[in-house]
Amino acid sequence: MEEFLDNGLKKQVLQVFEDLKEPVTILFFGSAAQCEFCEETVQLLTEVTALSDLLVLEVHDLEEESELASQYHVDKAPGFVIAGGRGEEIIDFGIRYYGVPAGSEFGALINDLLTVSKRESGLSEETLSFLAGLKEPVHLMIFSTPT
Amino acid sequence: MVLAHRMALESSLVEAEAIEATEFGELVRRHNVSGVPQTTINHGARDVVGAVPEHFLVAEIEKALKEAGS
Repeated sequence: MEEFLDNGLKKQVLQVFEDLKEPVTILFFGSAAQCEFCEETVQLLTEVTALSDLLVLEVHDLEEESELASQYHVDKAPGFVIAGGRGEEIIDFGIRYYGVPAGSEFGALINDLLTVSKRESGLSEETLSFLAGLKEPVHLMIFSTPT
Repeated sequence: MVLAHRMALESSLVEAEAIEATEFGELVRRHNVSGVPQTTINHGARDVVGAVPEHFLVAEIEKALKEAGS
C-alpha cells in the first residue's frame, strides 16, 4: 500500500512531535470478520507512531480480545484508544476514535497525541472547574467527515 | 473534536468518541446526524451541531445533565 504520509507532511509532524513529553500508547482494535477500513487505519497509525520513540502502537482484535476491547469500551472496528503511558502503566483517559483519521481528522489525531503526551488540556479555568465538579458520567460522540 | 478529547483528558467521568461519519452509517442514522460536526451528549440527551466554542459545549452538557436529573 502507498504511504499516507509524504515527506512534507512527515516533516511537519516530526516538528510537532519535538514537544512530546510522556509516552503515549495507541490501542487499535481491528476485526478479521468484516472491516473495510481496518487496514488503512493500522497503516496510518503505524506510520505516525514510527515517527517518535515515545509513541507505541498496539494492534488488537475486537473479537479475539473481546475482554480487552470491552475494558476499553471499544465496540466497533476500526477503533482505537489514545492512552497515556506504555506497557504495564497505561492510563485510559476515555479518548477514542472510530474510523480512518484522515483529512481534517489527521490534524486532530496529531494534536491529541501531543495533548495526551504533555497532559495539558489547555482548557479554560471555567471548563476545568465544571469538569472537576462533575458527579455523573458524560459520554460524547463527535461525528465528523474527513473533508 | 479535539475539544471533547481535552475534556476526557481532564475528567475520568468524561469519555469522548470521535466517529468518522461516512464509515459508520448505521450509527449516523441512529443518532439522526444532520450536519457535521455533531456532538451527541449522553447517547442523545442533547445534540450540538457545528463546531462550537468551549463554553457553549459546557453549557450544553450542563443542560443535558440537568434534564436527565429532573
